Amino acid sequence: MIVSTKILIIGAGFTGLGTAIKLLKAGQEDFIVLERRDDVGGVWLDNNYPGIACDVPSHFYSFSFRTKADWSKIQSPGGEIQEYLHECAKEEGIIPFIRFNTDMLESRWDAEAKHWVVKTNNDTYHAKFLLTGAGHLTDEFMPDIEGLDSFPGHVFHSARWDHSIDLNGKRIGVVGSGASAIQIVPEMQKIASELVVFQRSAPYMNIRNDHAYTEAEKRTFERNPDVLEHLRAWIFWFGEEQYAQRRMVPKYIEEAKQVAMAHMENQVSDPALRKKLTPDYEIGCKRRLSSSGYYPAVASPNCTVEASALARVEGSKAFGTSGESYDLDALVFATGFEAVRMPFTTRVFNDAGISLDEHWDQGMQALDAIAVAGYPNLFIIYGPNTGLGSNSAVYVIEAQVDYVISALEYLEENQLTVFEAKPEAEEQFMDHIHDVAEGTVWLDGGCSSWYVDDRSGRLTVIWPDFPHIFREENSQFHPERYELTT
Amino acid sequence: MVSREHAGTSISAILNSVIDGLRRATNIYEVSTEMKNEAVEKTIVVDGVEVSYRTSGPANDRLPLVLVHGTAGSIDSHFGFMFPMMAFRQRVIGINLADPKTDSIEIDQLVAQIRAVIEAEVQDGSVTLLGYSMGAPLAAKTAHAMGDKVSNLILVAGYMKTDTHQKLRGHIWMSLYKEGNPLVKNFMSFTAFSPFHMKSRSLEDMLAGTAKMNITPFIAKQVDLNTRIDVLAECDELQTKTLVVALSDDFSCPKHHSKAMFGTIVNASYTEIATGHAVVHERPAELFYHVNRFCNDPECYPVGKIVPAPKP
Repeated sequence: MIVSTKILIIGAGFTGLGTAIKLLKAGQEDFIVLERRDDVGGVWLDNNYPGIACDVPSHFYSFSFRTKADWSKIQSPGGEIQEYLHECAKEEGIIPFIRFNTDMLESRWDAEAKHWVVKTNNDTYHAKFLLTGAGHLTDEFMPDIEGLDSFPGHVFHSARWDHSIDLNGKRIGVVGSGASAIQIVPEMQKIASELVVFQRSAPYMNIRNDHAYTEAEKRTFERNPDVLEHLRAWIFWFGEEQYAQRRMVPKYIEEAKQVAMAHMENQVSDPALRKKLTPDYEIGCKRRLSSSGYYPAVASPNCTVEASALARVEGSKAFGTSGESYDLDALVFATGFEAVRMPFTTRVFNDAGISLDEHWDQGMQALDAIAVAGYPNLFIIYGPNTGLGSNSAVYVIEAQVDYVISALEYLEENQLTVFEAKPEAEEQFMDHIHDVAEGTVWLDGGCSSWYVDDRSGRLTVIWPDFPHIFREENSQFHPERYELTT
Repeated sequence: MVSREHAGTSISAILNSVIDGLRRATNIYEVSTEMKNEAVEKTIVVDGVEVSYRTSGPANDRLPLVLVHGTAGSIDSHFGFMFPMMAFRQRVIGINLADPKTDSIEIDQLVAQIRAVIEAEVQDGSVTLLGYSMGAPLAAKTAHAMGDKVSNLILVAGYMKTDTHQKLRGHIWMSLYKEGNPLVKNFMSFTAFSPFHMKSRSLEDMLAGTAKMNITPFIAKQVDLNTRIDVLAECDELQTKTLVVALSDDFSCPKHHSKAMFGTIVNASYTEIATGHAVVHERPAELFYHVNRFCNDPECYPVGKIVPAPKP
């Protein structure tokens, strides 16, 4: 069946739901949301590994237009965030707009018909506007490990946790030491007979200042909206202050390093382990983490930190690049996501049949971090240069949704039907991005990270300026940067 | 007056002026990043006293920003965030006010220092002048004295005329200082930070922070000067485009002073940040937000209007 709609939204995570809610508030009702899973939540639905939580305080990792007074903790568990999104969808009347279990398989721009033709595992959709809300953390990254097929035990990625497997008393290997791994490791350490952490590079880590809110505190937020608003602002501006580290202002870099290293030294007494856990790059080059349980876990007698990446597997033996091997019953890959080459880009084609992935063969880029020359009427939310090193992703998503709303209003007011980024405007925007990125810790911090595209050496995932500048520059449609046709 | 440069700025000054010409009217984005100059430390002698200052940042279509610190401050202690972050975006000149070496100090002595630095560094064109705390009345008086040389003014946590609340604060401070009571440092901290800021810190943290302070005779002279400030007449005559930044929990220069400045200065606009007096430590990024926006486009702050705080 062919279904026509004005706006087709891919994904029902923070982006898809935030867009849908704001469209409804703006009086736009002609839209459909496609969701490949059977529920809303996106990354918070996919990721449900033991210990999962968000490392941004919940009172700010939530929509500004839908605050929640009763978050259970400062940094709430992942399941609670998914419940929050479900509640948003239900109470804002979004559920009827969502087609669940519907995977976008292919989207092609039809220049003659001036619409997108979107094939799914169910219906085909014709949409004037296509909006992708796939995000950086949608499809898991699995490294190609030699001999992994020969491993007789359990193998899975952290984003596809197999809860049917009983890992109690097992010899468990966790591959990775990033944001997911440092939440998983303390949980695995409690139940494993032996735990091995394959650490390619050591992260900087702060203590996690988390606690459960009392009922009295929740009521305080509920009864005093100004208290909640003040807290949100405080969290936001604290995050903004951290940008000085990313800009490599020496005083802020030194202070941040001192705090992180003092945390490690307070929790780890063994000099050899301290050495393994000391990062060899500048703070902030990779994502800075927070955990109060990770260091005690890796310092436990049943845990070994293998300070090298997992190189190969031979039967039940897992080898680090150091040559050390470990007999294991299970391997958990906490190896992150396909953020640099987002998989949805292989499914989106322009009129000439070129996929976004091919088009971006030197790295992804978009005008105003949202639109791509050659791909008309396409909004890419939380795509190129939208990741933040120092604040909440929801803040960026909201800014981009405002951009979409203002674009749709502009087109409607001026009786225009097609917008397409001018190539020269896109290049000018990217030159600006790369100028700003020069001298930041992401490029000059001496690390290899998923923020940088290896093909070009350019920072393609991260927004390199203050997050509030993102909103200043990218929350309103700039018609002069587009070819506009009726 | 004698100007002495510590590093080779003459080349950068020439480059700046060339790039200034090339850049005008070409940049659609808020940041121009062709030149991110290293900071250069300089000194100038004013009335026989050496005044140190720092310049950095690319010349572009923004006016140079001149930063004047408050009581007991310096470029580093009050603008440790603002200076480098603004210098990434534009030319910035920070001044370390110097002790005039007189028994007591008058406002005109410090205004002379600010004026001398501006005249030495900005021969052509005008500046945006920012004064924080005691630096605010100094900046207002400097703007009044320099006329068109100061196109834009930012007055953060300032005041025009000392009132009884401030006189009492000064009296307590001076009494503690004269008897050599170490509580003078805690008293400064108590009036500088908001209760909300302290809420997330322990008493030990707060005491440790104040223990690092070094109370100099120059600071005592500044505290004394603070009890005798009166730039009301100058503010009344001021025509300069002005942004008044008040701090809602300020116990040193309560916001009624900022509201009075907003009313008095004819071309003023007003905004408020939810911190104590020590905004430069409590929430420097929000102060940066306003300063950067105002420097980029002063018209974002319409005359006579209260501009609400951004709601993230």
